[in-house]
Amino acid sequence: MDLYLPIAEVSVNAPLLVALGALVGFISGMFGIGGGFLMTPVLVFLGIPPAVAVASMSNHVAASSMSSVISYSRKRSVDFRMGGVLAAGGVVGAVVGVELFRWLRLLGQADLVVALSYLIFLGIIGGLMFWESLGAILRRRRNAPPPPRRDRRPPWLYGLPLKLRFPRSRLYISVIPPLLLGAFVGVLSAIMGVGGGFVLVPAMVYVLRMPASVVVGTSLFQIIITTALTGVLQAGRNQTVDILLATLLLVGGVIGAQLGARASSRFRAEELRAILALIVLCVGLRMGLGLFFTPREAFVLMSGAGG
Amino acid sequence: MMAAAPPPASPPAVTGSAVVSAALTETNVRVNSDFRGDRIVLYGAVFDPQSRPSDVVVIVRGPEQPVRIARKARVAGVWINSRPVVFQGAPGFYIAASTRPLDAIARFGVLRRLEAGVDHLAINAPTEQRTETRYGVQDVVVSSLGADYLDWRNAVVRLKTAEHLYDVDEHGVRFVDKGLFRAEIPLPAEAPIGRYDVRILLFQNGQPVSEKDRTLTVEKVGVERGLYLWAHQRPWSYGLAAMAFALAAGWAASSAFRRD
Repeated sequence: MDLYLPIAEVSVNAPLLVALGALVGFISGMFGIGGGFLMTPVLVFLGIPPAVAVASMSNHVAASSMSSVISYSRKRSVDFRMGGVLAAGGVVGAVVGVELFRWLRLLGQADLVVALSYLIFLGIIGGLMFWESLGAILRRRRNAPPPPRRDRRPPWLYGLPLKLRFPRSRLYISVIPPLLLGAFVGVLSAIMGVGGGFVLVPAMVYVLRMPASVVVGTSLFQIIITTALTGVLQAGRNQTVDILLATLLLVGGVIGAQLGARASSRFRAEELRAILALIVLCVGLRMGLGLFFTPREAFVLMSGAGG
Repeated sequence: MMAAAPPPASPPAVTGSAVVSAALTETNVRVNSDFRGDRIVLYGAVFDPQSRPSDVVVIVRGPEQPVRIARKARVAGVWINSRPVVFQGAPGFYIAASTRPLDAIARFGVLRRLEAGVDHLAINAPTEQRTETRYGVQDVVVSSLGADYLDWRNAVVRLKTAEHLYDVDEHGVRFVDKGLFRAEIPLPAEAPIGRYDVRILLFQNGQPVSEKDRTLTVEKVGVERGLYLWAHQRPWSYGLAAMAFALAAGWAASSAFRRD
């Protein structure tokens, strides 16, 4: 059953998009990521204009994050205060990122920056996360004790001013690192068309030293706020949000997210991280390595005449 | 190339003696939610008391859409885009259907003047061009794309053809009976919205002797039109409503799945 999308101005297969939304929603609920880094490339591959795909994704990501964040908050595993601080940084980062992206599009280098960002960030994060979680799994197999934690109170968290208590995360740290982290993720999300969960989740574990139990829920909470803002900004400034496309994706997405949030409790945290790391690595390599192959077609049409 | 040598005996066509007439079976293409492209059927007739050999060319042009195109180049092992070049005057949709290959119907200059065939479309990149006085000759067009200009132009046509937006159908017009012809124009789902010009040309002896112009409108209707207008005329309320709907859907799903 094909459906014509009013803003994207292409005809798409509706059940395929619902299924795709459900699959990405499942992954999203399971790992606490938005899933934008998976969905955006697939939508572009299906022939939807990249600008419309990126903008409509925000609605889908916000919906499936909303769906699973409520489940997590019932389990009291969302640190709303930390999420709010991250989101405050994220809002600033998103606005800066949107302007940066407009400038890159004018130069015609947006494709390059997007592909390089995918390769660099997904490659590094996926690689590190995979290495770490593999080590944890192997230690558990051998019944080896976990390695002694190094400095429990690193100076970048405790030496800076503006300290704030985060009771849910059992932390008393400066707000500067989470603000900067939020801003960085905001810039990335505007440029790559993603929610930024794949950066946030590992950064919250390894940099902010948050307990693993609240990381996923808090990441999703932050994603709701930034993607809700991006979605409205994209619709208001660029008229690129296709409500029909977003609806198809989120019908599957919200259900998939529920199933994913439920399935995640059946796995160990390090096993989940290892699987997520593999997914992240594959997408990063797939997107980035294209830069090194000789293209079959030397010319490329750019969408949007004005830029 | 089957250059049909026209009999030089007859003088340049006596204009007015042969006339072409045509009508579209559908002048209004309605784009609704189950739009998957369309086929525009055109019927026409050639009235020629002397029954000279005739060729018919049907040219369908969609609304103008400037094209932005970049070329990939290898820099330090990585393929990156060059600065994009904008081509003006490119139609968003173009198809030339004819009874025979165009270069068998008329000469290069005639086709060029009528913009018949993708090779003869008047598209250029004005931002890359300027006029100068060179060697005492005024208004010489200088292109900074230089000798590559044709590569760029061909790339525009090639990429648009790959998207089914440009096409040449050498046998798209058929005579179904004496003097009566039929043409079928495929319109893909990606075809732009707007007013299309359909030009029907009658060629005799390599010269256009009669011409008819018809218009075709491709427009969104129903829900599609409502959503499109809302998104473009009140973008902020549209964005807020779309996001509110998304958040509500997420909340509804989590309530529906709640196990108490």
